[in-house]
This record gives sequence, C-alpha cells and structure tokens, in this order.
Amino acid sequence: MTLLARATGAIVGGFLFIATCGFRTEEANLQIPDYIVTAAPIYEVHAALKGGERFPEGAHLLLVHNGKAVPLAPEFAASADAAVNFDAKKILFSGKKTVSDHWQIWEMTLADHSVRQVTSGNEDAIRPLYLPLGRLVYAEHTEQGFRMISSRVNDTAEIRGIDLPGIPSVFPISFAGASAIPDDVLADGRILFESEFPMGKGSIPEMYLTYADGSGVESYRCDHGVARWGGQQLADGDVVFTHGTTLARFTPSLAHEAKIAAPAVFYAGSIQEMPAGSWLLSAKMRGSAKFSIAQWQPGTSTLKAVFEQPRENLVEPVAIAARVRPKRHPSALHPWKYANLLALDTRLSRDGALGGVPARVRLEMESREGRAIVLGTAPVEQDGSFFIQVPGDAPIRMAVLDEKGEVLRQERGWFWARAGEQRICVGCHTGPERAAENRLPEVLQKTTVPVDLTGSTAGLSSGEGSHR
Amino acid sequence: MSRNWEAHLPAALLAFAASAVLYGLIPAPNTVVAATSRTGEHLQYASPIELAFSHNGRLLYVLCQGTDELRVLDGITHTQLKKIAVGHLPRGFAFSPDGSRIFVANSWDDTISVIDTKTQSVDATWSVGAEPSSVAEDPSGHFLFVADRISNDVAVLDAKTGAEQKRLAAGRGASYMTLSPDGSRLYVSHVYHNTDKPRTAPHSEITVIDTNRGIVDTRISLPYIAHGFHVAFSTDGRVGALAEMHPKNLVPLAHLEHGGAFADTLTLFGADVGPKPVEVPLDNLEQYAARPFGVAITPDKSKLFVTCGGSEAVLAIDLERLLAYIHMHKQPFTEDLSASGNYVVARITVGHDPRGVTLTPDGKQLLVANRLEDTISVIDTHSNRLVQTISLEGPKRLSVLRHGEQTFYSAKFSFQGQIGCANCHIDSTFDGLQWDLEPDGFGRDIVDNRPIEDLKGTEPYKWNGTNPNLPTECGPRTEKYFWRSETFDDLTLTDLVTYIRSIPARPNRWRLPNGEFTPAQERGKEIFERSVDRFGKPIAETDRCNYCHSGPKGTDQKRFNVGTKKPTDDTGLFDTPQLTNIALSAPYLHDGSATTLEEIWTIYNPHDKHGRTNDLTKDELNDLIEYLRTR
Repeated sequence: MTLLARATGAIVGGFLFIATCGFRTEEANLQIPDYIVTAAPIYEVHAALKGGERFPEGAHLLLVHNGKAVPLAPEFAASADAAVNFDAKKILFSGKKTVSDHWQIWEMTLADHSVRQVTSGNEDAIRPLYLPLGRLVYAEHTEQGFRMISSRVNDTAEIRGIDLPGIPSVFPISFAGASAIPDDVLADGRILFESEFPMGKGSIPEMYLTYADGSGVESYRCDHGVARWGGQQLADGDVVFTHGTTLARFTPSLAHEAKIAAPAVFYAGSIQEMPAGSWLLSAKMRGSAKFSIAQWQPGTSTLKAVFEQPRENLVEPVAIAARVRPKRHPSALHPWKYANLLALDTRLSRDGALGGVPARVRLEMESREGRAIVLGTAPVEQDGSFFIQVPGDAPIRMAVLDEKGEVLRQERGWFWARAGEQRICVGCHTGPERAAENRLPEVLQKTTVPVDLTGSTAGLSSGEGSHR
Repeated sequence: MSRNWEAHLPAALLAFAASAVLYGLIPAPNTVVAATSRTGEHLQYASPIELAFSHNGRLLYVLCQGTDELRVLDGITHTQLKKIAVGHLPRGFAFSPDGSRIFVANSWDDTISVIDTKTQSVDATWSVGAEPSSVAEDPSGHFLFVADRISNDVAVLDAKTGAEQKRLAAGRGASYMTLSPDGSRLYVSHVYHNTDKPRTAPHSEITVIDTNRGIVDTRISLPYIAHGFHVAFSTDGRVGALAEMHPKNLVPLAHLEHGGAFADTLTLFGADVGPKPVEVPLDNLEQYAARPFGVAITPDKSKLFVTCGGSEAVLAIDLERLLAYIHMHKQPFTEDLSASGNYVVARITVGHDPRGVTLTPDGKQLLVANRLEDTISVIDTHSNRLVQTISLEGPKRLSVLRHGEQTFYSAKFSFQGQIGCANCHIDSTFDGLQWDLEPDGFGRDIVDNRPIEDLKGTEPYKWNGTNPNLPTECGPRTEKYFWRSETFDDLTLTDLVTYIRSIPARPNRWRLPNGEFTPAQERGKEIFERSVDRFGKPIAETDRCNYCHSGPKGTDQKRFNVGTKKPTDDTGLFDTPQLTNIALSAPYLHDGSATTLEEIWTIYNPHDKHGRTNDLTKDELNDLIEYLRTR
C-alpha cells in the first residue's frame, strides 16, 4: 500500500467508528488540535524493552487535522515516535530513509516539513524527546537492549552556548544493562522512562525516573508487581499510564498508583492531555483488533472514537501544541569515575523488618556477560548507615549481610550511579515516600572517606572479581 | 471600582498569557523569564503581614509592615477607612479583651503602639525589650505580654501603664503568641532553635505562660523543630496547632527529592491529640508546603488552614481526618511523605509570601495577608476556593527591590518547590544552623549559616571565601547545590542580588543612643584595638583583633588560618566574617562549633592563632564581648 493510499484510508477511516461497548460513535471533535500519530500494521508494545522491534512491518507518521490524516514524512521508508518541541514548531521523530537503514533520530520543521538528521549511528535510535535548552533524550540500541542517550539537538555554536558548561555533546544516561525507553520529560526536568522490574533482571514493565544527566535513578513508586507503561505527565503534575486494560495514575500525595475509572478496553499508553482537559488515547476493543485513536473525558464512561485505520494500529498520539517547557537540570556531577553512596539506615524498608542485625553491605557489579561480580563489602554501622565508593556508570546492586555473611536483604534488580554522583539512600527500598530523618549518620562521625568498593584498589576491571 | 479593575488586570493578563501558552496560541518561552517588567524606583509597599477583625466584625485591621501602619478597612466591603501610623517594622498586634485598645509590636524601634479603637489613633507608645514581635493582653486586663525576638524572652507589662514588671525566659527568637480560647494560657513560639551542642538536631519549644500569674507554666518540647511560627486553637481549646519548619541539616544536602532539605510540619497538641504533642507533615512526595506560617481553625472545628509563604499557597486540612490519622497510625510519621494525602484536602494558590490569617466571625471565609503582593486573599472555607483578592492601596508597579524580595521568599525555583532563600535566612537573617553541603564531600566542610544583614562591602562570600560576589553565590552555585533545579534568569538574579545587598543591619540594641560606650564597652574596645598584652609584650599586628576585623564592617575581606580547622575541613583558611550584629548570630566560627562568643577564645583559640586572647581574664573577655555587641 502506498503512502497516499494509506493517507486516503486514514481520511476515510477517520469517520468510521466502532459502535460497540466502550466506544461511542460521534463525529470527530473539532476541538482537538492537530496531532500526529504513528501508524503501523503491527505494534509490539513491549518489544523495545527486550531490545526488539516495535514495528516489525514498518510504521509511518500521520498528521491529523480535523480528523483528516496525511503522511507527515512520506520520503521516509519508516517513521515513528513523534515528539513536539515546546513552541510546537518542530518535531523529533525516529525514521528510516530506506527499509534497510537503522532507525535514526530526525528533526522536522513543521512549517515546511524540512528534515534534518540528528543521529547517524550504526544502531537503532528511537523514542526521542525534547529536553530543555537544545538537548534531547532518546534510546539507542546496544547488545543489552536500548540505553538512553542525552544529546544536543544540533551541535551548533548557539546550542553549545546555552548548554551547561562542560557537558558533552552526546553521552549515555542509563547503565543498567537493560533497556531503558524514555516516556516523557516531567515538568521538574526528570526523565520518565520504562524498563523492566526488577531492572535488568525482571520482565514486568515498570516506570522509573532519572535526572537529565542520568543521576538520581529510582522507581517512580515502589508498589511494584503490576505491569505499567506508557506514562505521560498531565498539566496538574499527575502521571497517567496504562496496565494494558486499565489506566492508572501516580499523584503526588500517594505512594502507590491510583486507579482511573476509564472504560475497559485495551490501551497502548502515551496518553495526550488536550487543552480542554480531555485525553487523546490509543485504544482498542479487543486484543486482536487494531489500536485506534479515541478521545475520553475523564469522569465519563465512554470513549469517543476520533480516528482509526482498519489495517493499522494508531499509537503514540501527540498534540501539536505549545507547552511550558520543563525545568533544566543543573548537573552537579563531579569529574570522577566513581560515585559515592551514603545509606542512612539500611534497617528501614517498606518490605518490613530485617531478619537480623545488618553488619556489612556487599556491592556487586554486573559484567557485560550478565554475571554478578562481587566488588567487596563495607561495614554497616549500628544505626544502619554506611558510606561506600562505587563504580560510576555501571550496573550495581547491594545486599545487606549479617555478621555471619548471610544475606538479610538484597536488591532485586540493578541500578546505577553516575560517575561523579554523590547520592543518599534513606533506607533499603524505603520508597520515594520516605524522607530522611535529621540525624547525623554514625558512619560520618567515624570517617568522611567512603569505603572503596570500585574494584580499583585490587586492579579489578569489568569481568574480573569473584563471580557469583 | 477602578482600583479593583486595576488590581485584577495583571492577574487577568497573566491568566490569559498562561492559557495562551498552554493552548499553543503563543509560543512558550525558551528560557524562564520574569513575567513583569520592573522599575528602579524605591517604592513604599504596604506589605501586609497580619490581620484581624474587630470584636464586632465590622472592621478589618491590617498590619502593614512596609508602611509602618495599621490600616482600618470596612469588615464587609473592605473599603479602606483609615491608616494609623505606628512604629518601625511592626510585626504583630492584638486587641485588649474588651476591644477598646489595640497593641502593636514595632519590632525595629522596640516599642508598643497603643491605639484607642474609638478614636482610631495612637494613645501611647511604650518602650519595651529587643525586637518586640507580638503582643497579648490577659483576659483580666492586668498584664500585657510582649514576645521579644532578640532578647529571647516575654516581657510582662502593666497593661494600664506599660511599665515592665518582669521578663520570662522564653526560647530563642520568641516571636509569636496565641492565647488559649479561655485566656488562661499564652502559647509562645520561636523562630530560632534553642542553641545546643554543635552537630546535634535542633529543638525548640512552645513556652506556655500562665496569664493569671504571669509565670511560665510549662514548656512544650519540640524536638527537631528549628523555626516555629503561629499557633492556632480550636474554639473548644482541645486542639492547638503550630506551624513550623523541620530542617535536615545533619544529613548531607546531596539532593532535594524525598524531603532532602526540609520538612514543613505542624505540631498538634491538646486534649484531642493526646498526652504528647504530635508532629505531622504537610509536604507530599512531589510538592512541598514551604515555610508554613499562619494557622487558623474554623469555629466548627472542621478545617485547619495553614499559609505556606514559600509555596505561595494555603493548605486546607480536614481536621477530623487529621485527628483520626494521628490516632490510627504509629508515630512518628514526620518522614512519611504520603501521610499528608490523608488530611490535606486542598492547596489554594494565593499571592506572594502569604503570612497571617484570620477568619471572618462566622468562619465562612479565611483572609490571608499576602505580604509581598499587597493583597488579601479571601478563601471560602467550605469550598476551599479563592473567591476574592483585595488589593491594598499602594504602588502597582513592581520595583527591582520588590521583585528581588519576592524571589528571596519564594520556593518555586527549587526542585519541586521545597526551599527558598528564606528557608535558611529567616526573615532575611540567619537560621543558627550548620549545614553539610554536598560539593565538599559528605561530612566535610560543615558550615555555619552566616547572617546577611548589611552585606555590601563584605565580599568574598562562603566561609572559604571562594565566591567573589553575590551573583556567583546566588546564581550558579545556588542552582547546582541548593535548588538542584533551573533557577533565576539573569534579570531576576540581578533583582535578587540587589535586594540582598539592600538588607539593612537591624538596629543595634547595645549601642548607646549618644554613640558613646559604656565603661565595659570602652574597656572592650581597648582590648580589641590593643597592641600590647597584659604582660606588656607587644602583640604582632596580625595577632590583634582589629587587624583582620578591620573597617566599618569588621572584616578585611581576606582569609586567614586562625587555628580552627577540623579534621573534616579541607582548608584552614577562612574568610574573616563581618561583625555586624555579631551578638545575635550564635553559634560562631565557620562550623558553628563555638556556641558563644567566649568559647571562640576559651575553647577554640588555645594557641592564640585567632588573635592574642589567652592572657585575658574572664572580666576582660566579658568586656571584649560587651564591645563586640556594639558592632
């Protein structure tokens, strides 16, 4: 099918609605601003989390105006993942000029549809999002799945001039040895991304946060266990996402997700909030159907179908509308290869009391081959505090041991600390709802020098050490 | 009418502009810029800080700190009826029990203005202690109590004559007082914590005074609390609530998320709370209630409202749910950022730096004094919605200084709105705390928070003297290591710095009015300037007090090693601190290790590296302190 034929289908399809339970047949809502969707015959929603292809039979961007769709990048063999910049004049997208190309990141000026290549690597680059002040984040394919990259949108003198001093043009910001796919850039400047839970070890889609320099990685919430993906922040600060057949939200006052009373259909995620408060959704009635675009007014019981293509999934709707840009994160990373981690009280956890008295903490690093390398142990003080130096930009995890060396609690997945990062943990999986007590940790009363668990003192490099 | 239109026009324009940006009508700015142009004029703003209705509810009194006035408004129409000039920088006021008099505490000229409510004029002006900040008369009309912020006490005056009868020792920074509903007790809160050993958690107190006997009845201990503000009671007296700040100064300030720098809390006490006070958090996981200040409880005891100066918001709390929560959950839960979701039912945006509050007599509306906006927000206590904004008479243009001050008192620039300059510089002063800043390493280079009065000519900044000017101190450094978020644009930074440089020194209470010294101060001055020790040996020029502490501000603006380096310090070279109002800003030395001025020499100067002092007797040290108090 040619792009023109597809576009024609889109125009027709835009007025063909599914009149079944959950969807309500109605004319397209003209209050919806122009938006862009990715159309694809097959959409493997979680494929990227496994390092795979989400659009195995290709995809293309459609620009929808008053319910009528036209191909947005017809000169591309494939295009997807549109992200509108803050003044709504440009978009980033992932595209392939030819079918055999890797996905790369491109930028299009909406006024004249001129395009400019942003990345030119030998691996797929997908899911770009604008960051403040001339940068973007995207996911780049590696041997271990997709990792997030921060890059200047264009390495011009103008953008270099507004970038923070000393910040490289391009640098990775995820290091867990697992896929990390950006979902949204929050108003506070942090990047909301998807990975699996436990990170690097599990298979449940979960949402995480990191600052724009890759520091401060953490779970958005710690009520893990249910697959959730496709997170987007609303204007009121809540983050909405899908479990597949239901929607839910994270709201600042709750440590756990809150249900959204939305119609029971299949949701693809990436919910777009419209200026008037309604949501633009990618949804379908049954598993075998194709995703189409619907409008939903929160609080109501039906979805209003606004655009569908009989043979294609329509996903990742994104409104062409200006918005307040997120805050820029002022990176405070030190020029070190390592990171320092201070735990205030390992005895604290949302998982309950430890089965013994913590005596030491053990640090492990994951090798490129996926093996756990023990980098050493450090003492845990009586108040549960410890202070360690860890390898920067590497997948690490910790275990709390009793005096016999038995594991009292162990991190289930891997995380990372950026090189040059200094970070404090309140406890051992206390969740983001737990604030620090105002107490001087015992370990800092003894020393201000962290125990070196980088492996560097033993001349350890990746692949060495005691494998577990 | 035209005044109301004028007041609402900027808000309407702003709302339109915000909507236009949101809906894509106009492009969002690529950089954060100030929305309003500023004028370089020196304008006199009203700066309302407290407000209260007359006993019959017909009049609304608004204390205007910027114009040194108590303004009288019609209680219904809010039309301005009169301006009553009072003393300098008034901070609090109260009615006599019969409503015939109003007492205004004038914090910078140490007086009480006594206003006759019939004539609406000042009847008398009484001299009182240092920095009177609030005032209250006992129900019998015998005593007038005055909280003195600097002298850390409550003066008990004869309510008829103003003659001081005695002083009651309060905590440090005694500032706000609230009578219990039956008038038998007076609850005094404190803006500074009680000085204790260095590197221990701060603690404060509510000093409870028996108003009948004029004595301290009890002291409610407030562990971990550094700064207390207003107290409010339910009308049945069974619940009291104090707005307060709970700093995290002992933990390295590595990041702000998860309440990394401050908890904004209430302490609840009273029969409905139980035998012990309970601290409850106001913050949540991603939104902070920065600098809680004013509190009010509705007459039906259904709601509690608290102003949050840094957040420019008022929180509405369901009091029944709050009490149920504290009884159903194991304490402490101050560190639980998900707790407030159980009782905070609304967050109402108001003006810049909301401070004092008052309820209409029927409890249906809450009025909020927006200090840095010259407005009063009116909130419907049933719907928790802002229903009106009353504009006070005054300049409508925004001056550079005013914008700088708004910036100083706002928390919106920091990550998730947790802190602003005023979190640590209480009312543009200091906090008496020591902080562990991240860039020097965890546990290293602990720094005492220095006062910021009269800073001009005291650069460089930071204890190690590495910041050459205020734009560096308040700009990139603050953005990276304090706010942890994108901060001011250049113009706003300039305004902020202009404001900080304009902060004057508080009046010095130890100087004699005629500029002369007391004998002890004179002796102290001679010690400060001496060139020979008590044994007749010459003191090297560099070992004389006035060598480093030279010039009008008491600093030569250079760095010296005075032997105070700790093992956790990266350098022994410290900036010579200015001596402006040095008596007020304990503790001392770069890390706050000296809890008093005397300890600087008796404990931390064993080898006379911090000037020749080991030859001095106790009396001579006292004289030296007496002199330093005049600086």
